[in-house]
Amino acid sequence: MPMDKSWPLEAPYLHAFFAADPVAADHAFFGRTSYADRRGFLRGAGLAAMAAMVGAAIPFHRNMPVGFIPAVFADEAVLVGKDGLTLLNDRPLNAETPPHLLDDPITPTPRHFIRNNGIPPSEADPDTWTLTIDGLVDRPMTLSIADLQSRFEVVTLALAIECGGNGRAFFEPPARGNQWTYGAVACSEWTGVRLKDVLGAAGVQPNVVYTAHVGADGHLSGQPDKLPISRGVPIAKAMTDNVLIAFGQNGGPIHPMNGAPLRLVVPGWPGSCSQKWLRRISLRDVVHDGAKMTGTSYRVPSYKIEPGEKVDKTEFVIIERMPVKSLITHPANGVAVGRAVEVRGHAWSGDRMVAAVDVSYDFGATWIPAALDAPANDGAWQNFRANVVLPAAGYYEIWARATDSAGMMQPHAIDWNPKGYLNNTMHRVALRVS
Amino acid sequence: MKTQRPRRVLVRTTKSRRSIAWTVGRVFVDVIAVLVVAVCVAAGEDSEEAGTVTASQSESPNFGILVAGDGAAETYAYCIVCHSERLVAQQGLTRQDWEEVIELMVEEHGMAPLAGPTLDRVLGYLSTHYGPDRPNFPLQ
Repeated sequence: MPMDKSWPLEAPYLHAFFAADPVAADHAFFGRTSYADRRGFLRGAGLAAMAAMVGAAIPFHRNMPVGFIPAVFADEAVLVGKDGLTLLNDRPLNAETPPHLLDDPITPTPRHFIRNNGIPPSEADPDTWTLTIDGLVDRPMTLSIADLQSRFEVVTLALAIECGGNGRAFFEPPARGNQWTYGAVACSEWTGVRLKDVLGAAGVQPNVVYTAHVGADGHLSGQPDKLPISRGVPIAKAMTDNVLIAFGQNGGPIHPMNGAPLRLVVPGWPGSCSQKWLRRISLRDVVHDGAKMTGTSYRVPSYKIEPGEKVDKTEFVIIERMPVKSLITHPANGVAVGRAVEVRGHAWSGDRMVAAVDVSYDFGATWIPAALDAPANDGAWQNFRANVVLPAAGYYEIWARATDSAGMMQPHAIDWNPKGYLNNTMHRVALRVS
Repeated sequence: MKTQRPRRVLVRTTKSRRSIAWTVGRVFVDVIAVLVVAVCVAAGEDSEEAGTVTASQSESPNFGILVAGDGAAETYAYCIVCHSERLVAQQGLTRQDWEEVIELMVEEHGMAPLAGPTLDRVLGYLSTHYGPDRPNFPLQ
């Protein structure tokens, strides 16, 4: 994507980090904890994660020294098990997928973006993992993944997750945070149990207003009493049919960086609601005030402001559903094409259906309705395609514009807000016809 | 002249070890920063004395993806204790915004306090190279 604001994947950091502190690097990147003799890794999560990453069991794992980087990773950076992602940040790991690599109707695991807030846990063994449901419930419970599978209906749903800050890179003046361009969005098939079934079994007390999610990832500072992120959703959202406690992704295990072995998937809301490495859900009678729930995190001003305007913290409100948006996944930006082009992509709108997608090749002067599929299920994105015939050789831009079931349409200009959230402006792809 | 990356002193293992590691980490951040700066200064002095410096050797020490400049060493040393310098290099903030970010990092995220001339150098570096006009964005 040479015409995108994107960055080359750079590999040296993995090796540099390991050279600086092999024990910390083992922990941060692979979740490995070594034996006291600094050879080999304790059984369980770290070893399992590494085996998953190299694609086979490691019979001689006990011989691996601390800080050992398997040769199979030699030419790869931190994005093991991922394909073509653009690295924004290697600690915490944040990586997005270029739009043309999101062309699949269902996002393959290697192309699902990564947004970490902290240090992934060292223990991620699905056999010993537990989830605790507590707070204002009649029957607090601690469940293994096997318990979840045996006690509740297991469902597989295609669910769209978009980072609240997707598109932040285009804010002017710049907004603080990871500078996501287009690709912090995905729609994988997630297998798990419905959150509402689990909460129902625990008995939701009548005064509950909000959930509070806790994961097993650690704060970047290493402070043991700090959580990197702990968000929640209103209880009504938690009790909808398409919110899952997931233990599978696309028919296989969840990728370690996507929250294995257990995570929430809350489609259509900022990805931060979908707590990864999920250990605990507490029900509260107040709006949750965990890490990144308060201040200006995942919040926007309650009124429209001028770009760059300062807004007092008390004027911010929590982001709930994500706005209507679309992404052109074919052709890739900047490619040369013939006059006849099939345009493909996806469209989504949190808690709503997309009613129409239109495409333009003349800078928005005229619009062509695209063929739009129904979602695979509630909470999935919708795929669109349009056959476009460009009139002559030259430079064109394909624009896509989705309209949702409430009549809301993607805007041209960014609705600027201080932290750079909710950029749902139209995606533009450049084409050259020769 | 190679400058070693400061060691990441924070290792999470057991709760108590993590706690100790964190305390030790905070104490040593200042030491690391001083060492990094000392190494850089030494590198510069050596180069001048030697007088036979090649182009690559005369470049500033490597602070990951951060561009060379006055204050790069301190910025690198303070920031990468918790996160990669890539997070820093993505931003385009005013001096005032950077000051707020540093306050937030100290108050909320356990960063070692920064003040006086060190704070000035860090703020000067950040607002010059990672200001709203984004001279170094997208990352190269």
